[in-house]
Amino acid sequence: MNNRGGLLAGLALGGLIFCLGFIAPLLVTADPYAIHPAYALQPPSLMFPLGTDELGRNELWLILSGSFATLSVALPAAALAFASGVAYGLACGLAPAWVDHVLMRLLDAVLALPSLIVLLFFAALVPLNNISLVLLLGLISWPALARLVRNEALAQRGRDFVLAAEQSGASRFYVARVHLLRVMAPVLVVNGTFMVGDAIFSLSALSFLGLGVQPPQVSWGSLLQSALNIIALDPWWLILPPGLLVFASLLAASLTGQGLLARWGNAR
Amino acid sequence: MNAVLRVENLSAALPRGGRDVPIVEGLNLTINAGEMLALVGESGSGKTIAALSIMRLLPPGATLTGGVWLGGQNLALLPESALRRVRGRDAGMVFQNPLAALNPSRTVASQIAEAWRVHNGGGKNTARVLELLGEVGIPNAAARLGDYPHQFSGGQRQRVMLAMALACAPKLLIADEPTSGLDPLIARQIMELIARLRRELNMAVLFVTHDLSVVEAHADAVQMLYAGKSVEWGSAKQFFTHPRHPYSEALLGSIARVGQARLHNIPGSLPEPEARPPGCRFAPRCAHCQPDCEAAFPPPSQFGATTAACFYPRPVQDRHAGVEALPVTAPRRFITQLQVQHLSVRYAGKTGWFGAKAAMPALRDASFSLGRGECLGVVGESGSGKSTLGRAILQMLPYEGQVLLEDTDFAALHGAARCARRRRLQLVFQDPRESMNPRLRIGEIIAEPLRLQGQLPQAALREKVETLLRRVGLNAQLAGLFPGTLSGGQAQRVAIARALAASPDIIVLDEPTSSLDVSTQAMLLNLLKDIAYTDALSYILISHDFAVVSYMADRIAVLHEGRIVELNDTAALIAAPRHAYTAALIAAAPQPRGV
Repeated sequence: MNNRGGLLAGLALGGLIFCLGFIAPLLVTADPYAIHPAYALQPPSLMFPLGTDELGRNELWLILSGSFATLSVALPAAALAFASGVAYGLACGLAPAWVDHVLMRLLDAVLALPSLIVLLFFAALVPLNNISLVLLLGLISWPALARLVRNEALAQRGRDFVLAAEQSGASRFYVARVHLLRVMAPVLVVNGTFMVGDAIFSLSALSFLGLGVQPPQVSWGSLLQSALNIIALDPWWLILPPGLLVFASLLAASLTGQGLLARWGNAR
Repeated sequence: MNAVLRVENLSAALPRGGRDVPIVEGLNLTINAGEMLALVGESGSGKTIAALSIMRLLPPGATLTGGVWLGGQNLALLPESALRRVRGRDAGMVFQNPLAALNPSRTVASQIAEAWRVHNGGGKNTARVLELLGEVGIPNAAARLGDYPHQFSGGQRQRVMLAMALACAPKLLIADEPTSGLDPLIARQIMELIARLRRELNMAVLFVTHDLSVVEAHADAVQMLYAGKSVEWGSAKQFFTHPRHPYSEALLGSIARVGQARLHNIPGSLPEPEARPPGCRFAPRCAHCQPDCEAAFPPPSQFGATTAACFYPRPVQDRHAGVEALPVTAPRRFITQLQVQHLSVRYAGKTGWFGAKAAMPALRDASFSLGRGECLGVVGESGSGKSTLGRAILQMLPYEGQVLLEDTDFAALHGAARCARRRRLQLVFQDPRESMNPRLRIGEIIAEPLRLQGQLPQAALREKVETLLRRVGLNAQLAGLFPGTLSGGQAQRVAIARALAASPDIIVLDEPTSSLDVSTQAMLLNLLKDIAYTDALSYILISHDFAVVSYMADRIAVLHEGRIVELNDTAALIAAPRHAYTAALIAAAPQPRGV
């Protein structure tokens, strides 16, 4: 697939998933969590397009509200991680050398810890709700971006156009805002896209382990997990949709990111 | 005389935007054994593509027509396998950037030996490598056999490249800008080396360059390219004394030479290969253009030892006519504006948290003053500390000593007062593209110093930007474009406009023209001169090019290994250099024509 095609496919897929998460749930009129034991474990039919789970809940409605829950946690988490990564990186890149040294060693320490383990540790400590999940996921995935932004800022701040601005009295804040952020824009957009994919993946992994979105709310990860509990009954209609959605959102983020990278990679 | 290389009606086209765009059109040239032909043209003239097409080294997709005769074979028709035997054995090549052409992970000796082994087989052949290194003048060659490219200086690397090219004793040497990027003294040595080797080895040399002054002393023949076509060719001697094509004449007139009063301006710029005019290619920029010039390409006509493709060739002029001598006037007197006292800069070479601090002195004890409206030239080779001097004055680096602007020491100022004063010193960089944020529009770039100075209404800002653009000779409509769309000369004008926007007293010009073509350089220098005159602006002009500095400067400071070794009025310095290094610099610079 050529780059342009990949980019378009990624954006289309991403848009579709976005609609699924934020527009389609509005169409759910009944309570998605209502239990109908009489209809437990129905395979897809006209009445239940995606079948029902072991409690007789409509899987289509569960998927839709699960998409909303997943995206409404993962997207703010990615945004938080993005903002903290950029801010930390710019601070390192523009601060005096010794401050940069201290901040970077701190960053190394954070990077040295495996993020999933840290995530599990904190998830066990704090009460889990959507806000704490956003904070947890957001604060765990920024270091890589911070390092990238810092290196880029160091490389750019010695360039002639920054020197020229400083000669005319530009402050560090001005340099960061007008020059560094604009020059880095392609790098930032590309990495931000990848971060959305990462956040969805991490949240799904957490939920799969029961530490993500808490019941009665469902998410892609928790839907997969509950399907796994009854895998002996071969409920393929419960496993495929959430699995495919996780896969599709990662694919969308990856295609979009790669497409943008190919398009802007050399634009300096 | 036997021709080593004969090129007949060579044309090359490169695919661009879905169609073949002709880059070189109908090139004819002959080089005899022991002769050097200089293929000259500004960037975009097609000279490099012409040199590459002789060895058929064009990028994939290029089309080539015509004949290239070397040693009884037509290279244009030779199969690729046979052509590989010719490259390196019958014809050697050297390029502009020797560091990029050498493999950094292998010793120099093994790379030279390889050039020999590919065609002759055999082992390491240390004897031949030593002989070659001696030939190209690497001192103490036996001790350097195990050295890697980074252990050689820029000039020595170019010598190593020459040794590789000469490994199989080729009949033809193609040298593409081998001296650009080198310091003038080193460039001169390389030029002399190539000239000497050509005589000793009875080798034909095709020397490709944009800089006429480089080949003036050594070329036997010249071929001038403009927009893909030869406009004048023949004996170098006659070409340099009596150019007949208006372009040759104008280009020769725009080279800065020691003691020149005014450079010749060539308006406009070289046409893009897609937009070459139908008639004489130079007609739109020619001062002597007639209506029929634009209708058809002029046929070549012979004038003694040279041939020019022009309907209205320039008359033979008196050798000294047109060369305005520097008027002998008393040096101008200035009110002191800037004083630099005992300025020293050390670069701290620090490694890690626990690494030892090693201070490298880059500039030692520089003292001078600069008057209002004065231009001080600072010359020296790379590493002499001249850029460091400029940046210390601009308060860009920590220094020892004092810099006083109108009797106020910068060290005594802090905060906003320091900022406001620092703004009165501006600078123009060597690489205009690098000095502009590629993601800001030209208008935003020029407005930046105004914005940083305080609030101006949007309309006033736009008006000011347009005034500045016109001031530097650009169309005000450029304000909406991004810098990537500008030519080098235009970009440097924008950089000057940005410096002027801060309404400075002093502008530090750090190699402002060295990345530009000769004709663009002349226009820019004249522009800078005019601006300084009308605004009583002071310049500190930093350059490795003595001729450029002598053209602009009222006084010249010569920097050598971090020290000012000589500082004097320009005319006095040229007439009687006191330091041996100054004398060498002057000798290496382009001399007045016909002298």
